[in-house]
Amino acid sequence: MHKESEIRDPLILGNKTYHDISRDISRPVEGKANKYWWILFSLSAALMLWGFACMAYTIGTGIGAWGLNKTVNWAWDITNFVWWIGIGHAGTLISAVLLLFRQKWRMSINRSAEAMTIFGVAQAALFPLIHMGRPWLAYYVFPIPNQFGSLWVNFNSPLLWDVFAISTYFSVSVVFWYIGLIPDFAMIRDRMSSKVAPMKKQLYSLLSFGWSGKAKHWQRFEEVSLVLAGLATPLVFSVHSIVSMDFATSVIPGWHTTIFPPYFVLGALFSGFAMVETLLIIMRKVVSLESYITIKHIEYMNVIILLTGSLVGTAYITELFMSWYSGVEFEQYAFLNRATGPYWWAYAIMMTCNVLTPQLYWIGAIRKSFVWTFVLSIFVNIGMWFERFVIIVTSLHRDYLPSAWTMFSPSFIDIGIFLGTIGFFFTLFLLYSRTFPVIAQAELKTILKSSGSEYKNKK
Amino acid sequence: MTKEKKYWKGLSELNNDPIVEKLAQNEFSEEIPVNEFLGDSDLGSGSTSRRDFLKFLGFSTAAATLASCETPIQKVIPYVVKPEEVIPGVANYYATTIYDGHDFASVLVKTREGRPIKIDPNKTALNARIQSSVLSLYDSGRLRNPMKAGVDSDWETVDADIISKLNEIKDKGGNIALLTSTIISPTTEKLITDFSAKYGNVKHIQMDAVSYSGMLDANASTFGVRALPTYYFDKAEVIVSFGADFLGNWGSSDYAADYAFGRNPKNEKMSKHYQVESTLTLTGSNADDRIQIKPSEQAGLLSDLYNALNGGTADSRISKMVSALKSANSSIVVCNSNDSEVQTLVNAINNTLGNYENTLTLSSPSYLKKGNDTDVATLVSDMNAGNIDALITYNVNPSYTLVNADEFNTGLTKVGLKVSTSLYMDETAINMDYVCPDNHNLESWGDAKSSHGFYTLMQPTINPLFKGRQFQDSLLTWSGNPKKYYDYIKDHYMNDEDDKEQPGLDLISNEADWNKKLHDGFFTIDDTEDQFADQMKKERKEVSPPKEHPFKSSSSDYIEFEVSEKISMGNGSQSNNPWLQELPDPLSRACWDNYLTMSATTARALGIKNWNVSNGALNGSMVNITVDGKTLENVPVMIQPGQANGSVSMAVGYGRKNAGKCGDGVGINAYPLLNGGVANITIIEGIHHEFAATQLHHTMMGRDMIVKEASLTDYIKDNKAGNHTELYHTHDGPKKASEVSLWDEFDHTTGHFWNLSIDLTSCIGCAACVISCHAENNVAVVGKEEVRKSRDMHWLRIDRYFSSEMTEERSAEEKISAIDMYAKMEDPSEKPDVVFQPVMCQHCNHAPCETVCPVAATTHGTEGQNHMAYNRCVGTRYCANNCPYKVRRFNWFQYSDNDKFDYNMNDDYGKMVLNPDVVVRSRGVIEKCSMCIQKIQEIKLEAKKDGTKVKDEKAQTACSSACPTNALVFGDVNDETSEIQKMKKDDRAYQLLEHLNVAPSVFYQTKIRNKA
Repeated sequence: MHKESEIRDPLILGNKTYHDISRDISRPVEGKANKYWWILFSLSAALMLWGFACMAYTIGTGIGAWGLNKTVNWAWDITNFVWWIGIGHAGTLISAVLLLFRQKWRMSINRSAEAMTIFGVAQAALFPLIHMGRPWLAYYVFPIPNQFGSLWVNFNSPLLWDVFAISTYFSVSVVFWYIGLIPDFAMIRDRMSSKVAPMKKQLYSLLSFGWSGKAKHWQRFEEVSLVLAGLATPLVFSVHSIVSMDFATSVIPGWHTTIFPPYFVLGALFSGFAMVETLLIIMRKVVSLESYITIKHIEYMNVIILLTGSLVGTAYITELFMSWYSGVEFEQYAFLNRATGPYWWAYAIMMTCNVLTPQLYWIGAIRKSFVWTFVLSIFVNIGMWFERFVIIVTSLHRDYLPSAWTMFSPSFIDIGIFLGTIGFFFTLFLLYSRTFPVIAQAELKTILKSSGSEYKNKK
Repeated sequence: MTKEKKYWKGLSELNNDPIVEKLAQNEFSEEIPVNEFLGDSDLGSGSTSRRDFLKFLGFSTAAATLASCETPIQKVIPYVVKPEEVIPGVANYYATTIYDGHDFASVLVKTREGRPIKIDPNKTALNARIQSSVLSLYDSGRLRNPMKAGVDSDWETVDADIISKLNEIKDKGGNIALLTSTIISPTTEKLITDFSAKYGNVKHIQMDAVSYSGMLDANASTFGVRALPTYYFDKAEVIVSFGADFLGNWGSSDYAADYAFGRNPKNEKMSKHYQVESTLTLTGSNADDRIQIKPSEQAGLLSDLYNALNGGTADSRISKMVSALKSANSSIVVCNSNDSEVQTLVNAINNTLGNYENTLTLSSPSYLKKGNDTDVATLVSDMNAGNIDALITYNVNPSYTLVNADEFNTGLTKVGLKVSTSLYMDETAINMDYVCPDNHNLESWGDAKSSHGFYTLMQPTINPLFKGRQFQDSLLTWSGNPKKYYDYIKDHYMNDEDDKEQPGLDLISNEADWNKKLHDGFFTIDDTEDQFADQMKKERKEVSPPKEHPFKSSSSDYIEFEVSEKISMGNGSQSNNPWLQELPDPLSRACWDNYLTMSATTARALGIKNWNVSNGALNGSMVNITVDGKTLENVPVMIQPGQANGSVSMAVGYGRKNAGKCGDGVGINAYPLLNGGVANITIIEGIHHEFAATQLHHTMMGRDMIVKEASLTDYIKDNKAGNHTELYHTHDGPKKASEVSLWDEFDHTTGHFWNLSIDLTSCIGCAACVISCHAENNVAVVGKEEVRKSRDMHWLRIDRYFSSEMTEERSAEEKISAIDMYAKMEDPSEKPDVVFQPVMCQHCNHAPCETVCPVAATTHGTEGQNHMAYNRCVGTRYCANNCPYKVRRFNWFQYSDNDKFDYNMNDDYGKMVLNPDVVVRSRGVIEKCSMCIQKIQEIKLEAKKDGTKVKDEKAQTACSSACPTNALVFGDVNDETSEIQKMKKDDRAYQLLEHLNVAPSVFYQTKIRNKA
C-alpha cells in the first residue's frame, strides 16, 4: 500500500530556483524604480518635509503651537510616541520569537518587519525629544557625568526608564537586523559589476563586511543570530511594559492601572502585525514580490491579529470591570466618562476597530483575502492610535478636581507633525526597499525545497 | 675711550658709518612693502596671490562680523553714590495711601532699589484693584507730557495759557467748574477752597462713577449728614443685604474682615446672612440664604419688610428673614439702591431694628462716597446751555462713565477752557484743550480722611516716572501759590505760628510728629464726643419711610436689566492693567470680558445658548439689548447660575476706547444703561462670542470630599461634622490612607515645617490673594486667546463650585442611572449654593510630581515645600499630568520680551514691577507656587543675623498676607506657639484628596454654613 504523506503548502510560489531568488531580491536594488514607487516616494517625502517644518516651528516658538493646555499636558505627542513604539513590536516578534520557535514562514517577511521596527522606533524617538519644552537640553535625561555638582537623573521616573528601554531596544534591533543583512549585502555585491557601478559595488563591499560565505562565517552567523534573538525576545515584552508604566505608575484615574504592562504589549503586537500587513501588501505589489509574500503569510498574521485583538478586547472589558469593582468613584467616573463623555466617539472608534472588526477574521474568506486584510489592517492601525489617545486624553481631561476639567483639540501643527512622521516612515521604508535586500534571501534559500512539491511536480 | 659708544647694534654703528645716521631718521629701517599688496594696480604681477586675497577677504569679513556682534545693551545704572537707605537686595517699606476715587486703602509699599514692587496692607484691607495699582504705576500708556490740543507741550506753556484764560474768565465773571471724584483729602478740599477764592465763581462738583447719591441724600435728609454710615458687620447677628455687594464693590473694601470675624464658627455663634438680589454677587454667593428677585421688586420688598417689622405681614419669600430679624439682638440691613426714597426706607428699617449706634453709625461716618447726581446733572445742562466757561476734571472720566455721556460731550464743545488732569489720554481727556497729567498715587504726596477721625498720609515711593505733575500742584500753580503741595499739607496739619493767614489744624504737633505719622501712614483723632452724635439721637426717633411712594414691581413678563461691577475691573479706571484684565471673575470665572448674565431658564426662553467647543473653550450667543431707548449691540450672553429669572445684568468698567494697549476694545461699555430698566433683548443668529474662562466645569460632580461642608447646627453638635476621613479596607481592618503608605518620607518633626491653612468658611472669594501672588511671583499675563485655550498661568486659583440639583442620594432615590446622574450633575442649580476654594500647589510630602520628573527638576525640601528648579527643567510636563490638583503651569511660549504677549513683561516700564527675588521663567519650563520661598528665606536670614528663632508672625506668603479675612494662615507647624499648629489640630482641618495619601502641606478647614 502506498501511503503518500501530505505535502506541505510551499512557502514560496512560482517554482523558483536559487538563482531566481537572487535575481528577484536584487532586482529593486539593481533596476530602476517603477511609477508606483515614485508616486509613493514623492507623497511621503512631501509629508515628511511638512512634518519637519512643523517640528521646526514648534521648537522655534514653543509647545504652545500644539493644542495642549494646563490640564491636558500630553495628547498627540505621546499618543504618537506609544503608537510608533507599538508598531515596532511585530518586527522583533517576527524575527526573534518566531526564529526561536523555528517558524519558517517568517523568512519572507522578517527583514521588512524589522526594518519597520527600526523606522517605527525612530519616529517614536522623535516625540520624547520634540515634546520637551526645551529640547536643546534633552541631554539632561542621560546619566552623563556633569559639572552641575552631584546632579543626577531621577531613577524613579518612568520617563527615564523609557530612555533606557528605547535606546536598548533600538540598538539591539539595529544590530540584529544588520547581522541578518550581511550575507544578503554580500550577494548584491557579488552580482554587481565593478565596471558598471564601481561606487555601488564598493559600498556594498563595505556593507557586507567581507563576507565570503565560508562555513565558519555561516556558523558564526547562525550563532550570533540565535544569541541576538534570545536578547531581543525579552525586549518585545519589556519595552512596551515600560512605556505603559509612564501611565501605570501615575495617580491619574484611568492611568493608574496594574493591567497596563501585558495590555500594552498585546496592543503593541496587535498594531505591529497590522502595520506589517499594511506595508507588505503594498510592497509585494510595488517591488513585485508576489511569489514570496503570499496569502499564506497574510493568513498567519491574521490569526495573530485575531488572537491579540481578542485579548486586547478582554483587557478593555477587564478595565471597565475593575473600575466598577474598585468602588472608587474617581475610577468609576474616569471609565464612564471614557465611554460616554465628550470623547465617546474616540472610545467607539477604538472599540470598533480593535475589538469588533478583527473578529471578521473568524471567516476564512476574509482571512485569506488581500483586499480585506489591507482594509482591516488600516482599521487596526486607526483603532490602536485611538486607544492611546483615549487612554491619554480622556484620563487627563477630567481627573480629580472638576474645576480643572477641560478638553483637548489638536492644532494644525499637531496634525502636521503626526502626518510628517508617517511621511518620514514611508520615505525611509521606500528608500530601504530600493537599496536593501528586502527579503532575507540567504535564509529563504534554505526553505526553497522544504515542501517537496517541486520534486513531485517534476515527476 | 670716553668717546667710545657704550652700546652698539653693529659694527657700522660703532664705526659711525653715515648710513646709520641716515637710517636713524627713518621710522622703519626697511621700507614696509605696502605697495606689494595694496598699491600695485596690476594684481597679476603683484605678490598677492589669489589665495592670499581670499585669506584677507575671509579675515576681514570675519573681523567685521565679529565686530558687529555686540552683546545687546542692557541698561544697568549703578549707584555712583549709594543712597543711605537703599541696600541692594533689601526691601524698604513705606506707608502710604491709595485712593483712586473708588477704592481706598492704607497700605505698605514694598520697594526694591527704589522701585515699588508690591502693595501690602497697612491699616485697612486691600482688594485686588489696590494690589494691582502698583502695576498701573508702570503703565507705559500713561501720558508723558502735558498736552495742548492733543499734542505734546510743556508745563510753562500750558500753565501760562490756563492761568491767562482763567483770569479772563474771572474778569468777565464767568463760571468755572471743577469736576472731581469724591475728594477725601482735607488738604485738597482746602486747596479747592483757595482756588475758588482766587477765581470767584468756581463750582466744585463731585461724582462717583457708580453713584451712591441716593443713599447719601437719604442720610442727609434723615440725619443731616451727607455720608455713608460706618458699619460693624462683626456685631450683627443677622445681616440682610438688598443687592449691596459689600464684600465686593459696595461701599468700602474694609467690610470683609468684620464680616468674616462675625462668622467664625469657633465661637459657636455665626451671623446669619440673607441676600436679596437679582444678580449673583460675591456677597450673595457667601450668603446663607439668598433670595432671587427682579431689580424692580426690591423697593416693594423693603417696604414689605418695614411693614412686617411694624406688625404687618411679609411676603412669603422674606418671612423667615423677618422672623430672624425680629428675634436677633442686632442686625444690619443694607441696600444698593441709588434711590433716596428707598434708602430712607432702609434707614427707617435699621432704626426700627435699633441698629443705629449699635451695628452702624452715622455719628462717625465714612466719607468714601460724596458724589452728587443732581450737581452732575446741573453741570451737564449748564454746559449745554453755554453757562460754563471752564471745566477742570480730576480723577473722573465722565465721557465714559456718565449715562448721558453724549450730552456731556456736546456740552463740552460749548465750554471755553477744558482741562483734564487725567493720567491717560482717556475718553474725556481726548476732548479737552489741555491735559495736565496727574501723578500716580505712588508718586504723590497727600492725605485722606476716609472716615470720621481716621486720617492717612500719602507719600511718594518713587520719583515721577514721567513729566506729570500732581493735580494739587497744578491747582496751586494755577492759584498763583508758589508753595509745593508737600509744604501745603504740612502747613495744613501743623500749626504754623508764623503764618497767621493760614493757621493749621494742629493735628500734627511738630516735625518729629509729622515724621512719625508719615512713617505709620495713618493717625486717628480720638474724639468720643462725635460731632454728629447729639444730632443723631434726636433725629433717629423721627425716621419714617416716605408715605405715598409707589413701590411697584413691573409686570412679570418683562426682562429687567441692571448693571453690576466686577471685582477685577470696578469702575474701569484701571482698565489698562493686564493683571486685572486677566483676573477671572470669581463667579463666572471668565476674564478679559464683560457680558450679559442671564439665568438658564430665561436663556432657554430666548433661545440663547452657551456651549463648549472642541478644546473646551466656552462660546455664547450674542444679542442686541435695548434699555430705555439705548441699545447695545453684539452683546455676548453668559448663562450664570444664581441670576434671577427675568433679569439680566452686565458689568461696567469695560468697553474702553482710550484706555491703552490692554484695555482698549475689551468688552462693551455698559455705563449708558447704568440706570437699568426693562430690557428688550433680541438674539442675533449666525454669530457667537468666544469667552475666555479659567474654569469650564461648575459643579463638584458629587465629589463631596473636595469641599467639605457642614451646617452650623451640625458643627455645634460635632466639631468634626462633614469632615470624615475615608478609610481603606485592609486585611487589618479599615485604615487611613496615611497608615498604609509605602513611602519613605522626610522627618518633619524637627526644623521648620511650613504649612498653609485655608479656611473655606472665611474665604469670600475676593481674589486679593491672586493678584498678590502675581505681584510677588512675577506671574505672566498670557492674554485672552491663551486663557481661552486653558493656558492661564495663575499659580493660585480660586475654584468656585455651584451646587447641582442632582445628587447621588437623589439618583439612588429616583433610580437614575449613573450615566444620567453624572450628565445631570454637570448642570449647576439655578439657585446654587456657592463655595470658593483657593487652590495652589499643595506641597505634597509624597509628591506625585517629584517621582516622575526624569531630571529631578522638582524635588522635596526638608521644610515641607515642593521645589522647582527651573534651570534643570526640560519641560516634559509629566509632573503637570501627574498632579492631582492640576496646579502646575507650563510656559507654552516665551511670555516675557515677546511682542505676541504685549503685556507688562514686554515693556521696559512694566518690567519694573518685577520682583527681583523671583526669576522670570523662560519658555519650556514648568512653574508653580513655591510657598513664597523667597519670603521664607528672607525671614530665616534675618533671624540668623539677629541670632534668634524665626518668629511665626513674620512668616507670611503673599496670599496669606493679602487675605482680608485671614482665611489663609501660614506658618511653621513645628513652632509650638504658632497659629498654624492650632489650625492643623482643628477638627475642621482636612487635606484635599486625602485618600490619595499625597500628604499635602496645605490643608483646608471645612466650610460651615449657617443653614437650618
